[in-house]
Amino acid sequence: MFNDLDPILHSQLRLAVMSLLISVKEAEFTFLREKTNATAGNLSVQIQKLKEAGYIDVIKQYKENYPQTICKITPTGVNAFELYVKNLQTYLSIK
Amino acid sequence: MIIQQMILAAKREQKDDGKGWILWGWMLFIVSLLSWANIEFNWYDTAFFWNVFGGAVALYFIYCLGKVFFIRHTDRVKTYTGDLFEKLNSGFFIFLILINFSMNLGVPPSKGFMLLIGLYGFWILIYGTALNFRPSVIAAYITWAIAFAGLFIDKFIHPGNLGDVPKNIADAISLERFQWVMLFHAAAVLCGYIIPGHIANKEFNKINKKGNNIDNV
Repeated sequence: MFNDLDPILHSQLRLAVMSLLISVKEAEFTFLREKTNATAGNLSVQIQKLKEAGYIDVIKQYKENYPQTICKITPTGVNAFELYVKNLQTYLSIK
Repeated sequence: MIIQQMILAAKREQKDDGKGWILWGWMLFIVSLLSWANIEFNWYDTAFFWNVFGGAVALYFIYCLGKVFFIRHTDRVKTYTGDLFEKLNSGFFIFLILINFSMNLGVPPSKGFMLLIGLYGFWILIYGTALNFRPSVIAAYITWAIAFAGLFIDKFIHPGNLGDVPKNIADAISLERFQWVMLFHAAAVLCGYIIPGHIANKEFNKINKKGNNIDNV
């Protein structure tokens, strides 16, 4: 029996962002860009999609006159990520 | 490869390089032994080396405060463990200052230093548990055992009321007791900070060496 995979998370970059955010309290946009090797434009779009799904919170602020974007995973995001991993296991456990 | 790097990054986050413990531990250890030798060879005032150490720590504390308020903070990622340690360190140093004050306000060093050792144990236990580092957890219990035993120094070193003996003899007994307190303190620091610190440093270097191999692939 294969369970459906969450289409929001079933994208390489969005999954990478969620994987990074699940292990930390919060991370700056630049940190995510560096770790995922994505372009700023692409990463922005994917972060926006995760935000619209309620999986992450995005805080835009100024730090010493420079714009700063901070991302943090929400409880909904944690649940969705856990469910995604669980559902993915149904594909892997079939012999 | 990316997954391996992520796992490695998580492992590094979960490991302390132990350098802080080693530095702090050796400083306390040396000050304890110097204080013992100071009384033994009658160099300076009894608390001379502790005052020097206190001054150095106060300067470092001011430097840290300055860093927080005036130097740009460059952490791009915040972790729960990092946050916990930040708060834990603040709490530790505030409590440390409180105990030091209490010793200046009349709490005998034979009791005050044992409270300090107890505080070391508490700090070490939280660190060890958060980092899943068994040597620190064991070290915390050993440190507490030393603190508990140290509470009875007054009962074993010339037991009795110092008020019943002439002042010069009472002073000599107090100094001898303080020497024992310093030896207990040195032993606690050795077991609590120095040995686990060196073990942590060795493990951290091992992970880093492995990590460099993965990073270079």
